[in-house]
Amino acid sequence: MPKHEFFVDMTCEGCSNAVTRVLNKLGGVQFDIDLHNKKVSIESEHSVDTLLDTLKKTGKTASYLGEK
Amino acid sequence: MAQTMGVRSIVVSVEGMTCNSCVQTIEQQIGKLNGLHSIKVSLQEKNAAIIYNPKLQTPESLREAIDDMGFNAILADPNP
Repeated sequence: MPKHEFFVDMTCEGCSNAVTRVLNKLGGVQFDIDLHNKKVSIESEHSVDTLLDTLKKTGKTASYLGEK
Repeated sequence: MAQTMGVRSIVVSVEGMTCNSCVQTIEQQIGKLNGLHSIKVSLQEKNAAIIYNPKLQTPESLREAIDDMGFNAILADPNP
């Protein structure tokens, strides 16, 4: 499965928990959240656009960094 | 305020907020919704007081909008 890396402007644990929740809702994803570096790496068959839209649902700034 | 035609207010319990940036993102995101008059989120009381137009939003749609953002939202008192 492709692994994608995203930047998400998370500032606290509440933020990263929110990201966890929306990703779990989407389903079909395996992910790692690096709160310190504001990075989320996601392993999924979903398209980058779907993943980015999901991350943006949290209301935080999110952008695609590239494949890992 | 609740007596005014076309305006209603609710309080939604919101779990999972830990800092002011969580509060701000909720206020910004939910405040953008159609039919929203005002929203005040309290980190201490873990809730959001929302004043809205019942023609455009329902308590359930508001709860869902917060839930969609990744916070655990529960409808507390429908008539505060």
